[in-house]
Amino acid sequence: MSLLEVSTLRAGYGPVNVLVDLNLVVEEGEIVVILGSNGAGKTTTMRAISGMIARSGSITFAGQSITKSSPDAIVRAGIAQVPQGRGTFPELSVEDNLRAGAFVRNDDEIDEDLAHWFEVFPRLRERREQRAGSLSGGEQQMVAIARALMSRPKLLLCDEPSLGLAPLITQELFGIIASLNRDKGLSVLLVEQNANLAMKIARRVYLIETGRIVASGSSDELSADDSIRKAYLGF
Amino acid sequence: MERFLQYLFDGLSIGSVYALLALGLVIIYRGTGHLNFAQGEMALFCTYVVYQLGEWGIPIGFALVIGVAVGFALGAVVEVTLVRPISKKSPFAVFIVTIGLFQGLNWLDGAIWGDQILPNSAVSKQANFPTLFPSKDTDFVTILGAAWRLKYLGVLVLVLVLTAVLFFVFNKTKLGLAMRAVASNPESAKLVGIRTNRVLMFSWGLAAAIGALGGVVFAGINNSVNLGLMFTVFIYSSAAATLGGFDSPGGAVIGGLAIGVIENMGAGYFPEWIGQELKLGVALFVIVVVLLVKPSGLFGTAKVERV
Amino acid sequence: MKSLVTIHEGRAANWALRLVAGAAVIGVMLWVPTHGSNPLIDQFTNAFVLMAAAMSLNLLLGYTGQISLGHNAFFGIGAYATGIIVSRWGWSPLVTFPIAFIVAFVIGVLVSLPALRIKGIYLALVTLALGLVFPQFIKWRKLTWLTGGPRGLDNAGFNFSKKRRTYEIFGWNPFGDMRGQGAKPFYFWIAAGVVVITYLVCRGVVKSRSGRSLIAIRDNETAAAVMGVNLAGTKAMAFGISAGLCALPGCVSTILTNNVVPDSTFLSIAGSITFLIVMVIGGAGSLWGPIIGSGLYVFITQKTGDWSDEKNIPAIIRPFFSWAKTSPGTGIFAVTLIALMFVAPRGIVGVWHQHSPRLMRIVPRRAGTGTGTGTLVDTPVDDTVAGEL
Repeated sequence: MSLLEVSTLRAGYGPVNVLVDLNLVVEEGEIVVILGSNGAGKTTTMRAISGMIARSGSITFAGQSITKSSPDAIVRAGIAQVPQGRGTFPELSVEDNLRAGAFVRNDDEIDEDLAHWFEVFPRLRERREQRAGSLSGGEQQMVAIARALMSRPKLLLCDEPSLGLAPLITQELFGIIASLNRDKGLSVLLVEQNANLAMKIARRVYLIETGRIVASGSSDELSADDSIRKAYLGF
Repeated sequence: MERFLQYLFDGLSIGSVYALLALGLVIIYRGTGHLNFAQGEMALFCTYVVYQLGEWGIPIGFALVIGVAVGFALGAVVEVTLVRPISKKSPFAVFIVTIGLFQGLNWLDGAIWGDQILPNSAVSKQANFPTLFPSKDTDFVTILGAAWRLKYLGVLVLVLVLTAVLFFVFNKTKLGLAMRAVASNPESAKLVGIRTNRVLMFSWGLAAAIGALGGVVFAGINNSVNLGLMFTVFIYSSAAATLGGFDSPGGAVIGGLAIGVIENMGAGYFPEWIGQELKLGVALFVIVVVLLVKPSGLFGTAKVERV
Repeated sequence: MKSLVTIHEGRAANWALRLVAGAAVIGVMLWVPTHGSNPLIDQFTNAFVLMAAAMSLNLLLGYTGQISLGHNAFFGIGAYATGIIVSRWGWSPLVTFPIAFIVAFVIGVLVSLPALRIKGIYLALVTLALGLVFPQFIKWRKLTWLTGGPRGLDNAGFNFSKKRRTYEIFGWNPFGDMRGQGAKPFYFWIAAGVVVITYLVCRGVVKSRSGRSLIAIRDNETAAAVMGVNLAGTKAMAFGISAGLCALPGCVSTILTNNVVPDSTFLSIAGSITFLIVMVIGGAGSLWGPIIGSGLYVFITQKTGDWSDEKNIPAIIRPFFSWAKTSPGTGIFAVTLIALMFVAPRGIVGVWHQHSPRLMRIVPRRAGTGTGTGTLVDTPVDDTVAGEL
């Protein structure tokens, strides 16, 4: 049984369907990347999985259907999303941002987790009292990731984490994501335009075009394919 | 000095009422970005309910609890049935709906309770609108020669205690965190699993409940309730929220107290120029000055967009 | 959508249609003041007053996308301009119109400028405060020498000589019998004249160069600012014109009653809300909206005016209203207003535009020559206008 199975997914905004017939799978413990150009439906896929928009078809997570679930039920089930453009709570302090991430939890280990993620992101600990909106882009992206992790997800959805970040910072972030996957077995579904970097950390890759998956395979297979390499990797 | 203190006390007491209504305005504005023009009229409806309960012989403390509960229900129902579906259409439509509510609730009060000042010896068992605090002419404390009537002082204390409680709820509880998260970024709030709809419903309910408290307290100060009671209170509260910053609950309270003091000092020290007639002009003046000097208000975050 | 009738613009059928519509309007306008009963003439005159006020408010919405809750103040400025000038100095009421316009224009610009510099709810707030302050200001004791304080001013309208005087044109007597306080047909024509002027100014502003460009870019103010449009200034100008126009029906109201008092309905905040209701019910953002809305408003208030007495409520709906201690008119309008936002945010005109093609369609000559729909705002109100409220 795969962790996440999406089949014949249709979703969109109002009467317009952005996704027409989308199928993908994320296995437990792997990093999967969705590549595609602007408007191909990457963000829509993420929002459909998180339950933020109307959708039909079938989405199964850890054996449970979440096709009809509300966003909060999906977070409770174990999916956390880092939205595109970071989506922090700019008026709230860094610490409150992280605490908001633990909103669905009722256990008493929240403080421990907070301390733990401040270990992983020491730069956030230095700024825990600052308003998130006053942080740099890279730091805000860290806030968004740490916030998502505070819900103790089994699957992390990351929507273009590299957007608007300097290459060095992007590399650092991808390093963190890779190590989370390696050390803690966190499954990650990543959406990216920056194909080079993403394919380095991903085990498997999907290519999406106008709402459909047009190709899939391991990173090595796809980067060996000439036409795909030209279109998406640019060399 | 004695005069100054007297105006200060009166101003703080009446300002407490503005602070309550302004708090309600700010809570709704932060959550949804709408200015609830019906805030005052929702409070007035609850005030009439409390009056009616008093007529039926229910003690004020208990009547107040029911009135506040009615306020909460009214606010929540308005959000769920009117504001939420309409806000998908346009902010303009929400504005019109709050105006319709303003008009409709005021009409409803008149239709049920008539348009005279109540309690009215002809129809009421009560002599005065019931107050929470000792309200006889002899119930006052004297501070440096200025008298502070206990029913006025009580209102201020009530507001300060309530503010402290709200401050605690906003900043130290999960519910408060959810409210702040929704105000800051509703989309992300959903993504971390906050049921934003419930939070908004609760926010409207809370705002209306606080407003109901303000209405009852104000009617108590006035000894009566009438259809026009909340018009001016609403505009003072808006001025208070503008002064304090529309996204700052603390600012709303300080703004409310400040407006009360400014209004009373103005009318007291310049009776010839401002007097009772032009007290309302103070509110207009404050709004315009704040917009010219610091549009985000004293404690608001500068999200104001200039054009 | 298939229409029952299709008419091509410029063809004979189109001209016939225009001719019939025009003839109907002219016919009513000529018949009412000369042959209508006095109450009927009054209803028309009152509708014209409301119409002009709502049109001025509508101009503001269509042009800046914002709403004023203080137009009662500008209406009142007009009412008092006429009242003061006529009653204190004895000038003719007709010369007070331009003066009222200018005073309201200046005050409108001054008050709106700080709010218009900032996006958001602030114009509504400032104008609401203005609307509430206005009656208080009039009653201010420092101004009693001018405004007459709470008692207001008397003898503020026309005062013709006691002798019977008529102006006949080929046996047609449009102004009626002008004696003493004047004649109802004469007031009818003054009110109608104000409506025509307001309509022409609104059209002129909307079709003007700056008007067109501002409406086009209304929803992207940053773009406008980049293009070098002095937004706050242009908007304040629009607000000023709207305020000035709203003063004109105010002048008429004083002439009609021959006096002015600070607590009359249209001078209080209830006036602003009435203008708003008229505009929204007719169709906010469309030139014809206020015209239809005001007619309907006057009709309904006239019908329900005496419903506070239970016996006057039609038997069929009496059970719904018999418990009320006050007349249900206001309640009906409040409920209508809220319901309209759900089913037809663009009011009656919007409903007409939505459904009329099924009955009849007028095919425009070429793209861009206009379809004669008389729309003030090209984009639908429900998703663009007042994006900033």
